[in-house]
Amino acid sequence: MSVRGLAGLAVFVAALLVPALGSRFYTFLANDVIIWALFATSLNLLVGYTGLVSFGHAAYFGVGAYVTGILMKKLAVPFVLAWPAAGVVGAACALVFGFFCVRLTRIYFAMLTLAFAQIVWAICFKWNELTGGEQGMPEIPYPDFGWIERIGASVPLLGGWRTAEYFYFLCTVLVAASLWALHRIVTSPFGRMLTTIRENAERAEFIGVNVQRYELAAFVLAGTFAGLAGGLFGIFNRGVFPDFAYWTKSSEVLIMTLLGGMGTFFGPSIGALVLILLNQQIVSYTEYWPLVLGTVLVVLLFGFPGGLAGAVGALSGRLLRRVRSA
Amino acid sequence: MLHVLTLLVAALLALPLVAEAQKPIKVGMPMPLSGPPALFGDPASKGAQMFVDEINAKGGVLGRKLELIVRDSKADANEAVRVARELILKENVDFLVGTLTSAEGPAVSVVAKENKIVFIAPIPKTDQLTAADKLHPYVFRVAATTTMEGRSAAEIVAKWPVTQVATMSFDYAYGQDVTRAFVEHLKKIKPSAQIVDQQWPKLGEQDYNPFINAQMAKKPEAIFSSIWGGFFVTYSKQAKALGVFDTIKYNFIGVGEAATPETTKSMGADYPVGIWGNSYDAFYWGETAAHRDYTARLSKYLKDEYPSSWAIQGYIGMQFLTEAIRKAGSAESDKVAKALLGLAVETPIGPLTIREKDHQANRGQLYGKTVKDPKYPFAIMKPVTYVDPSRFMD
Amino acid sequence: MPDASFVFAQSLSGLTAAMFLFLIASGLSLIFGVLRVLNFAHGTFYMLGAYLAFQAMLWLGPGPGRFWLAALGAALGIALLGGVVERVLFRHLYGKEELYQLLFTYALGLILSDAAKIFWGTQQKSVSRPPELAGSFSLFGATIPQYNLFIILLGPSIALAFWFVLQRTRAGRFIRAAALDRETLGALGVNVTALYTGVFMLASFLGGLGGALISPMRATTPGMDTEVIVEAFVVVVIGGLGSLWGTFLGAVVYGQVLSFGILFFPRFSIFAVFALMAAVLIIRPWGLLGRPLR
Repeated sequence: MSVRGLAGLAVFVAALLVPALGSRFYTFLANDVIIWALFATSLNLLVGYTGLVSFGHAAYFGVGAYVTGILMKKLAVPFVLAWPAAGVVGAACALVFGFFCVRLTRIYFAMLTLAFAQIVWAICFKWNELTGGEQGMPEIPYPDFGWIERIGASVPLLGGWRTAEYFYFLCTVLVAASLWALHRIVTSPFGRMLTTIRENAERAEFIGVNVQRYELAAFVLAGTFAGLAGGLFGIFNRGVFPDFAYWTKSSEVLIMTLLGGMGTFFGPSIGALVLILLNQQIVSYTEYWPLVLGTVLVVLLFGFPGGLAGAVGALSGRLLRRVRSA
Repeated sequence: MLHVLTLLVAALLALPLVAEAQKPIKVGMPMPLSGPPALFGDPASKGAQMFVDEINAKGGVLGRKLELIVRDSKADANEAVRVARELILKENVDFLVGTLTSAEGPAVSVVAKENKIVFIAPIPKTDQLTAADKLHPYVFRVAATTTMEGRSAAEIVAKWPVTQVATMSFDYAYGQDVTRAFVEHLKKIKPSAQIVDQQWPKLGEQDYNPFINAQMAKKPEAIFSSIWGGFFVTYSKQAKALGVFDTIKYNFIGVGEAATPETTKSMGADYPVGIWGNSYDAFYWGETAAHRDYTARLSKYLKDEYPSSWAIQGYIGMQFLTEAIRKAGSAESDKVAKALLGLAVETPIGPLTIREKDHQANRGQLYGKTVKDPKYPFAIMKPVTYVDPSRFMD
Repeated sequence: MPDASFVFAQSLSGLTAAMFLFLIASGLSLIFGVLRVLNFAHGTFYMLGAYLAFQAMLWLGPGPGRFWLAALGAALGIALLGGVVERVLFRHLYGKEELYQLLFTYALGLILSDAAKIFWGTQQKSVSRPPELAGSFSLFGATIPQYNLFIILLGPSIALAFWFVLQRTRAGRFIRAAALDRETLGALGVNVTALYTGVFMLASFLGGLGGALISPMRATTPGMDTEVIVEAFVVVVIGGLGSLWGTFLGAVVYGQVLSFGILFFPRFSIFAVFALMAAVLIIRPWGLLGRPLR
């Protein structure tokens, strides 16, 4: 196993240990972070790997949240089916919207993704019967953890956790699996082709690649994983609201991606971690969170253009060189 | 020597108990502090803070101080839920008092239910917050409801010499619910009344011209509006320019607090003086000594000659909570929730009671026709009447 | 079937909304045309313009023509602010990826709008219509506020002034050239840095002016920046990025769709703007009058 693989495994194990710290708040924070990490990584498949800037990625997150939420709350469908459904419907929406979007370039592409996302938001906001309108759909049930508690009664460590903690373990495993799948995708020949398209779409076209088809495939995959993240988030959040699909959510996830660094696979996850922790700390002291966030972004832009992951990478590179030369 | 040691040990053992008694009672307040709804959220949080400062100066409640922790809920249900859970998990708040919009209230109510923490909503009006299927032991409301507000307005409009009535409301829960309550009650008490037009601009609309034109083409004699806050300023400026108020001879009632001193003050000469409106409070009401005293204290606290009408909602919310803690003799939510049932409190606006049936206080509002008063550089409601909603509550 | 005077009134209200929006969107369009970046902070410039106009009215006290002075002062103040931001910060990002430039303008918007909250608080502010244009008149049975007519006339005037400057003046030729190829222009000895600062200031001026001129018809509150910026984006994109007449056309189409849309779909105004943008982009991927980007 490579060093990176080991590092990933270490993070995964560390994440699993969070509830053992005994603080419900840390578990809450960690759960928030890992779901946003998946959401941001799914966006990075578009922004970082394919070079397509989406202003409307929250649409698929929102759709996923509603799909899982409606299935579990209104139709009592078990999580095992309701969660994958979020990915399937997210993918379907991404296929329809993406079909139109990938025919556009750059800022027009971004604006069309925004338009579709806002239409999704408006539907969620207005369709009272299905989505609960702007009041959203509270009280999404947790998945059934009765079986694990029954097993846990005889196996040490497995039993005796709170429902929210079981859900956190579940999220950690599912997010890790999703990230692993995403990593496989970006390192596959398909993923490398996406990078080629980002670097030079004309050349890719020239060597006979159907660029739009590749872009659409990336769009659908990104929508799938955003939908899966949304499906988890609705349950974690104890409710699904139309603002999940609003453009401010799209900008939030884009900021995470850029903050962490879109050039690396784990950059967006780091961005999610940093942004959520920073928000946590700042709002305890001041209501002027936007001011602080804006300042942080400006400093980052001028100080660390590669994002946090890029900054860490550069720093460790420099340290390594120094160690070697010494 | 042994004696001293025993005393010391006893003191050490007692220490945690003393600390427990002196630990402040923490109250979390998710409130919009940014965007247009900050207009209400900000003063409401200050009213709550004033109450806390005052009670702490008197030694607190049950010998413990109160501590208010306010967080920006951004008038967004999702954010309000997040903030409420953080307040519970991170700040370990004992109670929640707060939220503003009709989406935030019910969403936070669910968090309160799951965590078994008393939640008092001081501003959200939607009937759904305390509807039978949503009610739980921990949710209470000291705001008016859409039913109470819509019916109160219908009572006023029914007395006007008009039959052709139109409505203008935002197309979301609050606008839909209050308009429905108004229309149903008006038809009941004045069968000759007809609803000739209903316009539903989107929440936060900035350009009302097309809606106003379309409405005026139906030739209404009176208009009911529930466009609230800063949006009412925008709406009424545009309506005034198009001559709406003159055409309907000022047979216009604006609920959603269209006649607050803040609104008339900010609009000055532009306010369509002569329309009817409502407000939770008005510094010039002064019906009772308690209210005059409250206004003087608030004026000093906010350093504002004409203090906000929204502060009182935060104040009353905290007042109910404190009284319930005192009555329960405990800061445990289960006991406080029971104490809140049927609790009557002397508020600055008068005696209010939270009834057992639906955890709803009989919070009425001030209604009146706006006039120019030489005493103030802006319009006031005169005569201003406190409409007791008790008979509209079912 | 609605009568003619109603249709007339409705189309005029659509036109008023369109020209308001054009005022704001024209600056956005200009910056995009030359600097190739969507300026998120433009909405905040608009909001600051409204607040500054309110503040200037307070300072000036009662007197004739003070609204116009206040509006002009506010717009100039915002132009200055735009100039400083461009000189000190923004210009260092010209070589960077577009996305980073966009992120910068977004961050700038966050900072400035919170700064406005610190200065002016959360209470709504309101500015009166100037007494010269406070009345209204009747035409074909429709009531038309004088102020609305002023806005309707101001929109095309600004568009024509722009056209004149861009087509007929030296500075205009440089601006057009800069939009096409900034390196060559620099090599020809034109001071591109100063030109960019000028463009940024002019665009900020228009944003600030839009905010100041809109304040008599709307409330000035926190959050008004995000409300307008998305609409302005939509208008610019519908028209075709970088095309001023496109932006003008986009604004007109947008205003009319909103005005008449509510007659047929009374409760769907929430969809209108984005449905319109999606429809235009699907049919014409470069907007109504735009050219393909590469």
